[in-house]
Amino acid sequence: MTQDGLALLIARIGLRDREAFALVYRQTSAKLFGICLRILKDRADAEEALQDIYVKIWERAVSFVPGETSPAGWLQAIARNHAIDRLRARKPVADAIDEAYDLADSTDDPEACAVAAGERRRIDVCLGELAAARAEAVRRAYVEGASYQELADHFAVPLNTMRTWLRRSLLTLRKCLER
Amino acid sequence: MTDKNADGPGAEGERADSGPMRRDELIAGEYVLGILSLEDRGKVEARMAADRRFAATVRRWQTNLSGLDDAYQPVTPPAHLRRRIERRVFGAPAPQPSLWHSLVFWRGCAFASIAVIAVLGGMVALSERAPRPAPAPTLSAEMAVTGTGIDLIAAYQAASGRLMVRPVAARQEGARSLELWLVEGGQAPRSLGILPESGEGGLIVPADLRRALGPGATLAVSIEPPGGSPTGKVTGPVIAQGPVARMP
Repeated sequence: MTQDGLALLIARIGLRDREAFALVYRQTSAKLFGICLRILKDRADAEEALQDIYVKIWERAVSFVPGETSPAGWLQAIARNHAIDRLRARKPVADAIDEAYDLADSTDDPEACAVAAGERRRIDVCLGELAAARAEAVRRAYVEGASYQELADHFAVPLNTMRTWLRRSLLTLRKCLER
Repeated sequence: MTDKNADGPGAEGERADSGPMRRDELIAGEYVLGILSLEDRGKVEARMAADRRFAATVRRWQTNLSGLDDAYQPVTPPAHLRRRIERRVFGAPAPQPSLWHSLVFWRGCAFASIAVIAVLGGMVALSERAPRPAPAPTLSAEMAVTGTGIDLIAAYQAASGRLMVRPVAARQEGARSLELWLVEGGQAPRSLGILPESGEGGLIVPADLRRALGPGATLAVSIEPPGGSPTGKVTGPVIAQGPVARMP
């Protein structure tokens, strides 16, 4: 299944085309179920989540804009977001948005990317330029849905240190990916 | 205008690595990373709905980090899940014959396809020459397609021998319009207009859509509120669709 083919199928789901929905399910359900299992780590929970995810896909297909995101990325983002919402509802974590996001200016960050400017870099290239433990923290957060506290425990650093690690890593990644 | 190209503040808004913009970058990144609390995730989503620039920042993070999706190994879900999902999505139990599986509907659809071809033919003709008044039909018939709420209106012009068949969403609750959509190249459906329910049929394809109307595109008809979809997107059930082909 090409990305264009998948994009067309999602557009057809937006037209309430059941056959297209069945085809998309056949093509993508294993990947999306893999996402649910990895994040939720509970089979029954992952099965519930997968149902909700395809209901959302059916409902949201009409607003899918192909130029904005790749169709596979669009589907996987719906799956990840739903699985993470479910995980956070099950195991609440502290709110953070109202706290300060101030970091020292990262222009002089020793981790700043040293790659020559040019074509857009892939995430794995940019992760390779973070210190190994920090790249690992980013991966665990994204892939497993790990919380700040879980990451702090795993890497045996204080919670605030972990926040600073990840936020700095995000700024470094952004510069690397966009440059 | 000596400093027109100078890198002054405000030209491109704030720099992304300072102040509120950087805070937005971080929040968007943390959201996509999945590290925020449920409540904070809700705040981010509300902000995305209200702030297009912020929404674009989140989408960029999503695209940038999506390479990490490679870490997810596919696992085939159990077969019963699919049936449960279809029950939830399609409402009725899956095995129950739906509109799409109804023989009567497909018989109706054959008519509808003829009508779509007629409309398309009419559009091509209209784009090639100035519209001129057609002779008034001398006979007409209203054919109800059982169980669908769709009527097919036939109008016959004795002088030319021309018989036109148009679908009309007659028996939906309240008045309804049939809207014709163009689906092309995986893009979201774009409206070609409302199928005329009276008078001599045909509709004029908007100028900006004419290039997209060709082999490879799909035409679809949905049932919409009177006057067409209020949102510019398909809101009602799709009752017919098919690929566009060149006429031999």
